[in-house]
Amino acid sequence: MSRESFLSRVRQAAQAGRAFRVHLQPVPPDVGYVGANGDLCDKMAEEVDAVGGRAFRVPDLLAARELLVTLLEEASAKSALCWEHDLLTRLGLVEFLQSRGIVRHSYESLSKLEFPSQRQSMLACDIGISSVDCAIAETGTLMVCSRPGQERVASLLPPMHVAIVERQQIVPDLIDAFAILHQRGLENLPSNTTLITGPSKTGDIELQLTTGVHGPKHWRVILVG
Amino acid sequence: MPKTDYIRETHHEFLDASADALANQGLQQILGRLGDSLGKKNREAWEQLPNSDLVRERARTIKDETLAELDKHLETLERSVLARGGKVYFADDGEEACRQVIDIIQAKGAKKVVKSKSMTTEEIHLNHALEVLGIETVETDLGEYIIQLAGHRPSHIVGPALHLSAKEVAEILSMPAGETLPVEREVLAGFARKQLRMNFAQADVGISGVNFAVAETGTIVLISNEGNARLTTALPKTHIAIMGMEKVIPKLADLPYFLKVLARAATGQKLSVYTSLITGARHEGELDGAEEFHLIILDNGRSKILGSPLRESLFCIRCGACLNACPIYRSVGGHAYGGVYAGPIGAVLTPLYDGLAANKHLPHASSLCGACQAACPVKIQIPEMLIQLREQMHHEPALKSPLESLAYRMWAITLRRPWMYRLGSWLASRTLGWWKQNDRWLKRLPGKLHGWTQKRDFPAPAPTRFRDWWDKEGKQS
Repeated sequence: MSRESFLSRVRQAAQAGRAFRVHLQPVPPDVGYVGANGDLCDKMAEEVDAVGGRAFRVPDLLAARELLVTLLEEASAKSALCWEHDLLTRLGLVEFLQSRGIVRHSYESLSKLEFPSQRQSMLACDIGISSVDCAIAETGTLMVCSRPGQERVASLLPPMHVAIVERQQIVPDLIDAFAILHQRGLENLPSNTTLITGPSKTGDIELQLTTGVHGPKHWRVILVG
Repeated sequence: MPKTDYIRETHHEFLDASADALANQGLQQILGRLGDSLGKKNREAWEQLPNSDLVRERARTIKDETLAELDKHLETLERSVLARGGKVYFADDGEEACRQVIDIIQAKGAKKVVKSKSMTTEEIHLNHALEVLGIETVETDLGEYIIQLAGHRPSHIVGPALHLSAKEVAEILSMPAGETLPVEREVLAGFARKQLRMNFAQADVGISGVNFAVAETGTIVLISNEGNARLTTALPKTHIAIMGMEKVIPKLADLPYFLKVLARAATGQKLSVYTSLITGARHEGELDGAEEFHLIILDNGRSKILGSPLRESLFCIRCGACLNACPIYRSVGGHAYGGVYAGPIGAVLTPLYDGLAANKHLPHASSLCGACQAACPVKIQIPEMLIQLREQMHHEPALKSPLESLAYRMWAITLRRPWMYRLGSWLASRTLGWWKQNDRWLKRLPGKLHGWTQKRDFPAPAPTRFRDWWDKEGKQS
């Protein structure tokens, strides 16, 4: 009832409003695409640093694993919330964390827990380790899509988020990232797609930058290759 | 503390409130910083977007085209959300929207609600509606959390607690802390984080606004720098999103253009830290995200604007850039405007939503310098709209002053009769002109006319009229 009257009111108003459409200039189709000049990895690293994160360049997965040792120490990590992802499997993340005595909250173990304790375990993790669906060089952005085993909280709840990104995952521009979503088919859009550009920030106290208010204070991106 | 009443929801006198704001030194200091920090950052971010003016034009074009067929896009949006297992509600006004939210919450038997920042829920006074029913409602944006504790209204679209100093924030947060917190931003933010995490862990329902809603996919887009919008939608089992109906955009491919201009205009970032695209409830097997998704689409006066010459005000994407750019906002701050939306766009929206008679000063709270339009990511012609509102005021019966009408009638009569004009100017030069022949300025006009001289002097008539001087000396030289 309310729906029909609502929509018919909007229909009438939209029609009446057409008398007051604004004057517009034509815009060429490629306007808005910025892209990244030069090497995508270089640009990505530069932008990650510029938005308050820290980027690391490593030649291969072995080197990425070595770097993780330092990051785990920096986070004083005892427990980790990790994605299940092909890249992390090739890295041997499960065995690596096990060998260092770090509790890994796997998808399997978390799904067995009941609701309140599952949430508590997620909230208590010291570090979140994920890969990405793609990374955007122009802005230093990570695009992460949610799926079973690739939880949104991994990049959100722990005080440190580490993302491991391979060169071929990097695209030049935000518009390229949206093209990936289109290629996969709009009917297959995940329940959540998040673009992450920096550590959690706020300017709510006297307009001064303060980090880590809700999401991770420490945002690390390891670029492989 | 200043005597401006931050709590009241009805409107107060713009002139008194702005006088208070000007006398409030703490507020003046903070407002002064707006230009130092944001202005420079915004410029730098725009510089890195080639053809930024055309990108803004594209965003503007999408808004204009969408509004021309808004009903169709809303129906598409509804269909898409339903197809993804969500529920859609249409609300004619704020009261209906509040009732829809309450019905959902009560059907869930929920006790606790977390909210991420939403101007639309401020507009419909949702918190108040929930609290009177005993539903605990916690704002989770740091700025909103602070002003919720203090009982203030937001003073800026993007930075709701902008009017408070760090010292005042420390005093406010010390109340729930039960101890005196130091005036250190990191400590204060850390305390809020801990406190709010507890609330996130316990909440049954998360309520958010909507920055954009994509019709073809049923996706709602939430943008934040803190991450509270993500927590609000990832942890509670039920997610209710409330959107003004003008927030719909037709296609997913339209979104990147808005994202590129929004953050630049708002905070001088290329992109905000978190942009979340939420499409329906969580999928089978996922461990986080809401299990139920409800979308409330609100009219609340928007359809009236949509069919009017001021329709362009519905292009607004709530970035706050016009506030930061405005010399008036930067002098008097947000609370002086009295409405939920402050600054130049507030001076347009508040009279439209709330009536011109109750907000008669707002269309005049502008020097029409055009800085707002230049800063707007969708190039809304705010000065033009303020002029239109000023014009409308002359047709508003409640704003008609018999004295003013009489004065204008007399003026018109005089101007139509040269002999009367000559007599008038002769009288003025022989009285006021002679009396003020040395200092040349009137400091205080009598009665209501003092409105003019309150902030500036009025030039006195010359002791000798031009026509007299011309007859005597000018002609010969």
